Amino acid sequence: MDSRWMRTNTFHYADFNDLQALVEAKRRKGLSISLCLPTLNEEKTIAKEIVIVKSELMSRFPLVDEIVVIDSDSTDHTRDIARAYGADVHKAAQILPHLECYTGKGENLWKALFVTRGDIIVYLDADIKNIHHRFVYGLVGPLLLDDRIRYTKAFYDRPIASDDHTLRPTGGGRVTELVIRPLFSLFFPELTQILQPLSGEYAGYRAIFEQIPFPIGYGVETSMILDIYQKWGLEVIGQVDLEKRIHRNQDTKALGKMAFAILKTFIHRKIALGMIDVKGGLHDEMIQYTIVGNRIEPDIVRIKGVERPPMIEVPEYRAQRAKMAGDGPHTFRNATPQEDRAE
Amino acid sequence: MNDDRPPKLPERVAQIQEMMDTIIANVVLVGQIPAPTFSEQERVDFFLERLASFQVDECTTDGFNNAIGVIQGTNRNRAPIFLVARMDSPFGHEVDHHFTIRKETITGAGLLDNALGVGILLSMPEILRRLALRLESDLVLAGAIQSIGKGNLRGIRHLLQTWPTPIRGAVCMESGELGRLNYYADGMIRGEIVCRVDPLQERPHRFLPNAILVINEVINQILALRLPLKPRAKIILGTIHGGLKHGQIAHEARLGFEIHSDADELVKNIFTDLEDIVAGLRHEYEVGLTIETVSNLRAARLKYTHPLVKRSVALMQGLGLEPFSEPCESELSIFLARGIPAVTLGITHGDNYQQVDATMRITPMFTGIAQIIGTLLAIDEGACDG
Repeated sequence: MDSRWMRTNTFHYADFNDLQALVEAKRRKGLSISLCLPTLNEEKTIAKEIVIVKSELMSRFPLVDEIVVIDSDSTDHTRDIARAYGADVHKAAQILPHLECYTGKGENLWKALFVTRGDIIVYLDADIKNIHHRFVYGLVGPLLLDDRIRYTKAFYDRPIASDDHTLRPTGGGRVTELVIRPLFSLFFPELTQILQPLSGEYAGYRAIFEQIPFPIGYGVETSMILDIYQKWGLEVIGQVDLEKRIHRNQDTKALGKMAFAILKTFIHRKIALGMIDVKGGLHDEMIQYTIVGNRIEPDIVRIKGVERPPMIEVPEYRAQRAKMAGDGPHTFRNATPQEDRAE
Repeated sequence: MNDDRPPKLPERVAQIQEMMDTIIANVVLVGQIPAPTFSEQERVDFFLERLASFQVDECTTDGFNNAIGVIQGTNRNRAPIFLVARMDSPFGHEVDHHFTIRKETITGAGLLDNALGVGILLSMPEILRRLALRLESDLVLAGAIQSIGKGNLRGIRHLLQTWPTPIRGAVCMESGELGRLNYYADGMIRGEIVCRVDPLQERPHRFLPNAILVINEVINQILALRLPLKPRAKIILGTIHGGLKHGQIAHEARLGFEIHSDADELVKNIFTDLEDIVAGLRHEYEVGLTIETVSNLRAARLKYTHPLVKRSVALMQGLGLEPFSEPCESELSIFLARGIPAVTLGITHGDNYQQVDATMRITPMFTGIAQIIGTLLAIDEGACDG
């Protein structure tokens, strides 16, 4: 396996600490940047993400032009809180409402393409307890300063302490180590260099995101890597060390469902590429078991593996983008007053 | 006709509120760094780096590692004004320091004790810039380390002892409660009485004493002390620890206390009484019974008629606040003991003080910041120069 990519396309967020340089690069290239936070009941963490990014990367350094929350019908105060702190908040179901409605993180990310305006889109999970603006500028940095890079993916915890030549685990989660890494090792060894392929923080050019399909659920991170790799090659992908990330832990059953969705996405991609032939197709039900009293009961969840088509194929999106191109520079809703004047 | 008058303090509240994101970000980013007393280094480093990013003129530490930023004034001949918050918090690294922001509140360990104060200290350069305010005096933003508990205000003591110039006046910030106006400090001795029983010691004529029962007798004798009403004095029994498990006689027990009075001599006399109690019981029970001073403060005060107090009261009332006063054993006492006029102000309303789920209200904070700005301006206009 050629492991050159690991050396040339791995970055550290501290490489991009000079925020003024990033702002200047963004202006020079005439780009705008949107931050998208997909949510489902994230009232404990959403405000902190918005406040810190707004303060550091909108008010102090105008790097981010808009913060957009795409919510999957939260039953807590997520939308209310996000709105109070100035984010542009949308219910996923109300975006492109004539389409069949699905619930899932991938659905929110896909619909974000329709409501955001930026040339670069940063996706962050909304449950980060130790949010810091490095999560955004670390991912954006390579996109602005390295012309090879079109998509960046986060990883956390330093995987290798080089000073004393000691090795540490990559910090990949259970699903990464038990599902994704074995699959990549079997079929795409080059992709094992992506240390945390399931991390929920990534950024890229709209021109990339709008040309790939989005599974509506957990498979979205896997499909994104596979599709970008197939279409543009590994060279356009960068990975960024964001050091430490603290988030909510998930139980094994939830991870099982996640693994099911990821496997399904992966196998579908393999079939499409003609690399495998699955006789009789795949089932849609994840079957787990629960002990209730003295009985063992099946817990069946249907995970259909629906995918949204590339957004560029949606007529409303094409019409909207054409109109925006005709309208000239856009004034972002939650940009700072200084930014409005600058534009 | 153009109205060139500077905005009144209540109008400043709305202007400060426009900076909500930056202020909250400062509070959260600094407050999420654990800074137990004697281990403040990481917070100090962040504080200085952050101040530098706000283009503060001088960012440094003194010989004791207190964090200091200086915003230069317009008149280099003026003595500086100090704005102070303590850097250390009562919670160690083992406690989750991640804050939760909701619509009207922020919650987290150490938030009210005193991450909010440090966050406001960090925000002050940007607040002054956005309000287009520049003082005549240099404004020294001081983050004092080793303040609470066994820290015994060492940081601020060292800072003032070694500061090379006179100091015009000072504002000390506490997270809460909004409306507090402290301008006097009691004399105080904070101490600990420790009982240790050696189980191997031979005791031919008696049973093995229980350390908890000995401390109980210490408490009984303290409660029997007669304290005068004038000068006023009180003994606070604040903490007690002892024993290892339910079924075993305790070999060690500790009692934490404070003696307060507005007369230093009385504090010393009461402490001597406690030493006598301890000596008597040590002899009687044949145990290791000791009394130690953890920290102490001298009584000091400004008069209510001092211009700084009067101006502070007036501007707080102008903001719709009803000032309340009580003695304050904090950085304030060190300023006052050195003859430097100073007040302590609260920033907002809060709940669950000194607990891991300490919660502050966001909206009142903007009024709290406005009163601090007003007080700094009052000092700059000469309220402490008489």
